[in-house]
Amino acid sequence: MNHMKPLNKKAAALVQAQAAPAAGQVVTMAAAAVGCTTVFDPGWEVDAFGGVAGLCQPMEADLYGCADPCWWPVQVPDTLNTYTDWGVGNDNAARDWRALQAVFPK
Amino acid sequence: MSNTPCACLRRITVAALAICAAAGPASAKDYLVTALHSNKLVFIDVAARKVDKVYPLPRSRPGNTPGTLVVSPDGKTVYVLHNHWETVSGIDVDSGKEVFRADLSTSDTRGKCTFAFDVSPDGKEVAIYIDPVKILSGEYRVLDTYVAIYDATAGLSAKPLRSFPAPRRTTLLAYSTDGSRLYAMSWDAVIMDPKTGDVLGKHPIRHWARKNLGEPDALAVWPLWDASKILSFPYVVARTDRKPEAPDAMKSGIYTLDLATDKIAYKEFENTSVVLFSSTVNPVKRNEVYTVYSTLSRVDARQGKLLKRVDLEQTFYNVNVSRDGKELYLGGAGPLVAFYDASSLKHLQTIRMPGDSDQATASMRLFSH
Repeated sequence: MNHMKPLNKKAAALVQAQAAPAAGQVVTMAAAAVGCTTVFDPGWEVDAFGGVAGLCQPMEADLYGCADPCWWPVQVPDTLNTYTDWGVGNDNAARDWRALQAVFPK
Repeated sequence: MSNTPCACLRRITVAALAICAAAGPASAKDYLVTALHSNKLVFIDVAARKVDKVYPLPRSRPGNTPGTLVVSPDGKTVYVLHNHWETVSGIDVDSGKEVFRADLSTSDTRGKCTFAFDVSPDGKEVAIYIDPVKILSGEYRVLDTYVAIYDATAGLSAKPLRSFPAPRRTTLLAYSTDGSRLYAMSWDAVIMDPKTGDVLGKHPIRHWARKNLGEPDALAVWPLWDASKILSFPYVVARTDRKPEAPDAMKSGIYTLDLATDKIAYKEFENTSVVLFSSTVNPVKRNEVYTVYSTLSRVDARQGKLLKRVDLEQTFYNVNVSRDGKELYLGGAGPLVAFYDASSLKHLQTIRMPGDSDQATASMRLFSH
């Protein structure tokens, strides 16, 4: 990280936030919590053990389990409130994932 | 009192009818009910291991998989959270018709139920946890969370009979078997009086303050206590007396709450090595608990021992168990429902859901009808 420098305002804000005392007070993955902003899990790239064996099998089987309860809002659209039509008609994520399009802020 | 043969016969007949009534209809069968991303309810005949009925959900916006399912005690109505978590509907098991509907949002307030609702043991009331947000022209204003109690016979425009405050982050509501307590599973298990909303007590989860252990990380979302009447969920907890890289720095355990006796228990059974999503208690061997995700595990929760573990053909979120404790039912996540032997964890059969639709976080319940 010492060799990386922020190139824009957002990245600079992240660096400042890391240094702020409040950062240490953030409690992640609180017990029994669920919601768009109350959890911060690793994404589908890596499991809780730093590998891939603990990911959902197949990983697409986890897709609606994450999008529907707004679990991983960065990696998948929030189908509860914002992108409610995103998965309509594509009922099997492992089969239909090609039809699921990228979304952009409204 | 007459002792004529006719009177005796009448008494025997009455006694036989009473026994039959207590045992339920002779033709009652066990069913599993789950829900699909395609906005359908699916009923599975357990003995035949086949899909028996499929009902579309009425007046439900598609695009978000129905969530929690609760079956009325008489097995005639399945209540389902759907419509992007903004509606709880009761669906008649025989006809598929909607017989109850509670819409949680109003014109200016969006109400979402975060998985948590239950039906009282007498079937008369439906308790729904609601997380409301007022939608103003320039802001969203977060309102206090609460439990709303509905009359189960209120029909298709049900309004709350009463409501009372409930803790944020509640992800399960569960009535005690006698209906006198309503548990709200949040950071702790808060015990409420369902008639008054009075807080009767609390079983600590996050605030358990155990020596050399941190706060547990739990996912108490799935109501899987149909056969045992014991609520359970797996958890992971860090040991504070170990370095993070130590093999036993993280422990996995099972938390149980007996809905009949109000007794809780928790014990770790292994160094954390796999992801665990949900669990269910064997109704006969009540020390045995099954837990699932990409593996299926049989755990002695009382002794804190992993008894057996097998890899699964795909990930399942739910594990439920038969009334005799001999068979396991796996569902949720993808489009499969699987049957496993509860002792050997041997795979028995897998069936596919209609249209190969995913089940996501829908709970899979066992009931008789």
